[in-house]
Amino acid sequence: MKTLVLGLGNDILADDAVGILTARALKDEEKGQTEIIESALHGLALLELFIGFDRAIIIDAIQTGQYEPGTVIELEPADLGAVTAPSPHYSGLPEMLHIASELDLHFPQEIKIFALEVEDPYSIGGEMTVSAQKGMIKLKEMVKKQLRIWSEPD
Amino acid sequence: MKREILIDPITRLEGHGKIDIFLNDKGDVERAYLQIPELRGFEKFAEGRPAEDMPQITSRICGVCPTAHHMAATKALDDLYRVDPPPAAKKVRELVYNLFFVEDHALHFFFLGGPDFVVGPTAPKAERNILGVLGKVGLEVGKEVIGLRKEIRDLIILAAGKVIHPVFGLPGGISKPIKKEDQQKYIAGAEHAVKFAEFSLQVFNDIVLKNKQYVDWILSDTYTHKTYYMGMVDKNNKINFYDGDIRVVDPSGKEYVKFKPQDYHKHVAEHVEPWSYIKFCYLKGIGWKGFEDGPDSGVYAVAPLARLNASDGMATPKAQAAYEQFYKTLGGKPVHHTLANHWARLIEMLYAAERCVELAKDPEIVSPNVRTIPKEIPVEGIGIVEAPRGTLFHHYKTDERGVVTAANLIVATQNNAARIAMSVDKAARGVIKDGKVDDGLLNMVEMGFRAYDPCHGCATHALPGQMPLMVRIFDKNHRMLKELRRD
Repeated sequence: MKTLVLGLGNDILADDAVGILTARALKDEEKGQTEIIESALHGLALLELFIGFDRAIIIDAIQTGQYEPGTVIELEPADLGAVTAPSPHYSGLPEMLHIASELDLHFPQEIKIFALEVEDPYSIGGEMTVSAQKGMIKLKEMVKKQLRIWSEPD
Repeated sequence: MKREILIDPITRLEGHGKIDIFLNDKGDVERAYLQIPELRGFEKFAEGRPAEDMPQITSRICGVCPTAHHMAATKALDDLYRVDPPPAAKKVRELVYNLFFVEDHALHFFFLGGPDFVVGPTAPKAERNILGVLGKVGLEVGKEVIGLRKEIRDLIILAAGKVIHPVFGLPGGISKPIKKEDQQKYIAGAEHAVKFAEFSLQVFNDIVLKNKQYVDWILSDTYTHKTYYMGMVDKNNKINFYDGDIRVVDPSGKEYVKFKPQDYHKHVAEHVEPWSYIKFCYLKGIGWKGFEDGPDSGVYAVAPLARLNASDGMATPKAQAAYEQFYKTLGGKPVHHTLANHWARLIEMLYAAERCVELAKDPEIVSPNVRTIPKEIPVEGIGIVEAPRGTLFHHYKTDERGVVTAANLIVATQNNAARIAMSVDKAARGVIKDGKVDDGLLNMVEMGFRAYDPCHGCATHALPGQMPLMVRIFDKNHRMLKELRRD
């Protein structure tokens, strides 16, 4: 079973860096079966990254205004249909999954999305806010926990 | 677990486009304004950083065209250090750049612009997407697009490292040569790209040009503006994306000016409007006369149609034949129909693919001599390339250590901003009558700006072509009548 961890975001846009930085930190800690990729691409352009994997975790920043900054929100791809563009990275994800199934691509059967509610994903060159820095620790732990669950024999 | 998250677009306005449409007594359009978010503060962010970091940093401006920023920044560094890269380095850069053009143009045609034409502008909303396109052209084509893009991206990574933030360009050259044993991969990938570009043009021919209604839309006055056009050309006035002079033609197609990248500030100026964050570029020699067509207005366009108009042709044979057919079909040069950008984009894709074949077969492409070491003290550097979405300017000033003291970037969408604003206004006037607005009409307005493939600066280029958009309709007393959102 090949597993992908995909960190999304832009590492020069303050809290928008959290997905990228979490992926980077995980790279140092998670050696072995899991492939960890950073990307600033969006939506359908991400499609090619998923090909060939059986399971995937997406990590990203999100700004809903409905949760305390630093809260990790766990989403399934199916949830995104109801989401009103929380992050440009997600636009097209449900469509991407649909295309993958139509085209019969080797695509992850299971996708988890861990999104960190952030305060400031817009300031260029800005440091991550304290809530995002703290949230990143939680985010990383959740990814590691999920990877452990997946690695246990059924 | 079903979770519904609703977000008020006002709180996320930075990521949203907004069209405000003002109606008159009769319910017809008085004026329509497009506002798109712009990445502000980047130039300030660049200050105090080593100039050598700019190719990496500027490639983070946009998740869609990092390679264009990387290349413009690299060329600005050549100029900053007054260093001429060896011929092999220039050729490898141009090869990588044209590969990027192929994949980017392919993505736009099939995933972003395609739904408008391949599926049709008035098709039900649920079908106006890539799935609708695949339904029309066949699932095999979808696999082909994905397969080709992957092949090209692998080739770019082989030469340039990461495709998203390439680690490739250095002042005076590139980081590593192409290995002799990899040359065949580039030739094969490029030849595959030529076939795919020819196929894409055939799709355009069969589905769009053979449909009278589509052709009527392309030719309609609603999507037409007679402006100046700008593009980069080689010494024969043929299109080149990587290097050359900047040529501008007037609305009759006659050369207005041709200038070296270093002289851009003598010819390009920026106008500010109170209702928009974007600065509107115009030709300094003509002046800002408002959002007006014609030879007396300094408004100009960039991007595929503008590049075709500003050149005397394509430097490769198949693309040249397609170029001639384009003008023959659309009534001669220049073509002023905005929607013709989609066709022009495919002609450019064919040129980029053919140019890749030429470069990949060039024996010098595998030369190990890919770097001239800079020795001059840096002062100021300007680098210009054609990005897929139009002319891209990078301009840095540094202290003697090469630390950036000032940066000025003019991105493609800024060059196009005035004409895009005009297109949205005119499309709204053309399709909205008697206060009647629905999703189909809204899409017809959006087509006016989608043809330019505008990039909204700060990585908010939501795919597939769906910038979250809010449209507000106001009556003559500026009272809001209706609000439509498309997230």
